[in-house]
Amino acid sequence: MNESYAERGYAERGYAEREYAEREYAGGGQKGTRAGGVIITAVALLATFLVLWGLYYATGTGERHKVALAAAGCEPNLLSVNVGCTTVWMLERRWTQLTTSDLRQLNADAADYAFSERRSFAKAESALTAEVTTANAFDTSLRQFPFPPAVAPQATALTQAVHARVKLIGEQARSSSLAQLRSFNARIDASGAAIQTDMKLVRKALFTRPTVNQEP
Amino acid sequence: MSTTRDYQPGPYPREQGRYPAEPDLYPAGYESDDAREFWGDDRGAAADHQPRRRWSKIADEWMEGRIKFGGTGVKRKTAALILLGAWGFLPLFFMLPSLFTFNTNTIGGSVDDTLGTGAMVNLFMCLLVTPAVTLTRQRWFVPLRRWYGIMFACCGIGDALGAAFFDDFAGNPFAKLVEHTFTLIGFLMVLLAIPLFITSNNWAQRKMGRYWKRLQRLTYVIWGLLFFHLATLEGFGFQRGSNGSGFAGDGDAIFHQRLYQYCACSLFLLTVRLPPVKRWIAARQQEGRNRLVFMAVMPIFALFVFGFIFIVNELIFKGTHSFMENPSSE
Repeated sequence: MNESYAERGYAERGYAEREYAEREYAGGGQKGTRAGGVIITAVALLATFLVLWGLYYATGTGERHKVALAAAGCEPNLLSVNVGCTTVWMLERRWTQLTTSDLRQLNADAADYAFSERRSFAKAESALTAEVTTANAFDTSLRQFPFPPAVAPQATALTQAVHARVKLIGEQARSSSLAQLRSFNARIDASGAAIQTDMKLVRKALFTRPTVNQEP
Repeated sequence: MSTTRDYQPGPYPREQGRYPAEPDLYPAGYESDDAREFWGDDRGAAADHQPRRRWSKIADEWMEGRIKFGGTGVKRKTAALILLGAWGFLPLFFMLPSLFTFNTNTIGGSVDDTLGTGAMVNLFMCLLVTPAVTLTRQRWFVPLRRWYGIMFACCGIGDALGAAFFDDFAGNPFAKLVEHTFTLIGFLMVLLAIPLFITSNNWAQRKMGRYWKRLQRLTYVIWGLLFFHLATLEGFGFQRGSNGSGFAGDGDAIFHQRLYQYCACSLFLLTVRLPPVKRWIAARQQEGRNRLVFMAVMPIFALFVFGFIFIVNELIFKGTHSFMENPSSE
């Protein structure tokens, strides 16, 4: 019962709509669809203009590429798929990410050692082992960092300084007494100062924009 | 008394064999706001005007055929849907290595770019289905709308979670989502996407009846909010220092500007949805002037492609960096 009513309802509605459709589309349906025609024509013209303008704009890509390289401070020898260069800003951000996390951990390990060097040999040794692990991780990160050729000498010096410190801490960790541990402190501090100096040099070299002559 | 089970689209005859009870095959949901938009369809009453079979129908029927695959038969439609739909999963695939290794550096550094851009791609693909039906009169790809919608929601929710817990903004997770205008709008979009995601199944559709369709129209609100999200994210389309489309060293800064990409894509998606335009297209198709329709639509679609390829470029670029757990700093 219900279904037959529904069917009848649909049939009636279908008839009414068919009638409407015939009216609507009679004579090509020009009257009822004029607004749509105007809208689609206007939008199509706008889109045509924009596509043509986009193609025209694309023809100047090469020239703008060179200008953009200089303007954004790109390092010319580092490739990035999207922008064709690595910008100083990109290097800066990556360098900051690298140094912030690793140096924070190294400082924490050093503080642990400083706290334990006169109290507990085991804790001091454990802090040194942790520091060696962190320093090794920092060294790995440095080796993976995309240093531009211009920064390579400073980067090499930094890597060597980190290596020297890691070696020194490793020797310190093998000490047999607290007094022997403390005997390394002066050399460790000196290696730390050398690392800081090298990091400043790397940072300065890294954040300096390339000159026009360096552009490809 | 009418029930949701009795619900059938108005002008169509009840031919279960011809129109199987698959929700995606109905012109319901966010596709159809006006029953008249389908009058030009060969399934409607106006089909009487053209007794010959249409190529769109032939294509639909051909897609129902089977192809041999590994000793068994697979529907062409199923194979095509899997091939087309697999791309929707790409953004999440890019993030899988960092999720498996719980690499918070990668998640925090690139989840917003990879999943955010992925959500945008999926939303546009979802919204593209209806214009494609309008223009081609084929329906075999309609299930993709739901799939891309689900993928959009997954990417959006993943983006919000990543931003809340791993982004380097200040404050607690909730504060990170609401402290900037663009994050607040993005958060609103995700909140709206959640009910759509939950109800994106046949059971919910049956239970909710006509309210399901109304709920699904929230997709349009999300689409609108995306404009404001991108506008506030990238300085209303104007580059100001580092606030804009980024340091597009390839010299195509305008093409990388996400607000422009959005506008280029949305122009096509919006125009073909306008009821007068749909009526015009249906009328021209009734007259057999398909070429005129395609001539009119082609420039608008070309603009869509122009914008869309740069969104995909962004997704692949950022996505591959995320996949290698070396998040892009751009």
